[in-house]
Amino acid sequence: MANASSNSDSSLKEILAVFRKEALGEARSQTGLMTAGLFGLVAVVSIAFAAYGMKLAGTLSAGLLWVALMFSASLTLPRAMLQEEETGTADLLRQWSRPHPVYWGKTLFNAALMTFEGVLLAILFVVFTEQTPASWPLLLCATVSGCISLAGAVTLCGVLVARAANRSALAAAIAAPLLLPLASLGVGAMRSAFGDGAIVQGWQLTGAMAGYATTLLAIGPYLYAAVWKT
Amino acid sequence: MKRFSLVLLLLLGIIGTAYSFLVSDAAGFQAPGLARIFLWHWPCTIAYSVMLFFGAYLCIQSLRTRQAHWDLRTTAALELGAVFGIMVLATGILFSEVEWGAFWSWDPRQTSFLMVMLIYMAYFVLRLAIPDPQVRAASSAVYFLLSVIPQLFLIFVFPRLPQIAQQSLHPSQTIVMGLLSNDYKTAACLTLTLLLWLTGLLYRQRVRASMLNLSLEDLP
Repeated sequence: MANASSNSDSSLKEILAVFRKEALGEARSQTGLMTAGLFGLVAVVSIAFAAYGMKLAGTLSAGLLWVALMFSASLTLPRAMLQEEETGTADLLRQWSRPHPVYWGKTLFNAALMTFEGVLLAILFVVFTEQTPASWPLLLCATVSGCISLAGAVTLCGVLVARAANRSALAAAIAAPLLLPLASLGVGAMRSAFGDGAIVQGWQLTGAMAGYATTLLAIGPYLYAAVWKT
Repeated sequence: MKRFSLVLLLLLGIIGTAYSFLVSDAAGFQAPGLARIFLWHWPCTIAYSVMLFFGAYLCIQSLRTRQAHWDLRTTAALELGAVFGIMVLATGILFSEVEWGAFWSWDPRQTSFLMVMLIYMAYFVLRLAIPDPQVRAASSAVYFLLSVIPQLFLIFVFPRLPQIAQQSLHPSQTIVMGLLSNDYKTAACLTLTLLLWLTGLLYRQRVRASMLNLSLEDLP
């Protein structure tokens, strides 16, 4: 009993250590946040500029916001894994750590980064395109569960391409098809949040996204462990 | 024995193809005669689904044992799956033109299967980009297992969501509601048997060729 408790304590410490390492790395370089932030901002401003003087329909707004979120995630999130290979620290990490805590640490960091960026992007989108969401809680919950699912899927794709040629472009290329079902759920949920559908249906789709995120996070560590020491 | 089974397969092929042209016209279609494409479209979807589950099983075996032959089997199965997927899309596109008036109607069922094929093709793109055979085997197997969830969602769940099913022109309920005539049922079962048999044969030949290739690479 005591052994199990100390094991989970040590796992938690490892997860927090990996999370802290990622956060410190990000605080020093700020590359991820800046890249994702700039990409998202440019996308939102471009949409607002293209739709100048027009009132965007809810469905179109949901689609555009999701495209911005999806591409922003595909560009930024694989970095957590790719950077380890590029700087040569991946072997050191494999030497000293276990796969599950590394996966959780990196995925939690990516989920936090993506959620922060996603919520910011959603608010900016609403402000710039002069939308009046029918339900703010639904919009925020759909954004948060969508961002966590995006983080779960894209982080794993980053692992898979870490030792491939032309890895950054490849990560986005293989992540995009995997994110399409998620995008269809996300667009449906946000469409309701922007007033183009029943709110109840929006909550159902948000629940489905949360289920998708849970499934990804449940199988993720095992799939990560399978490629960990290859 | 091998020759006998090949002759039997050929015979079944001839009978199946001929019978699929002889069944009576289906009711309720714009061009009832051309609705016969169902007899090849539906078996391809079943063969694709079989390959999807079989491929997932082979991926698990490949990750569990880390032996090269499981990776070869996985690739062989998924290549065949890709062929069937393309045939499903192609026959669907023809059906769409004949019955709905456009090659691509953005029908939810048609679009969701296109997404499935994009996911599927990314597996081969990933394999091409990784030079190390062991890393390639592990990474591609993990990708495929990861892709099974969205594929199952897009094939079995998404088209049946009430709000999606309402918009779809795809006659998905024909089989479920028992609307197929006996002629159609017999012909569909015949073509399905034929296709699955052919799949098994092609799979075995592909694995054998890959094994030979592998043993040639191992020669000093």
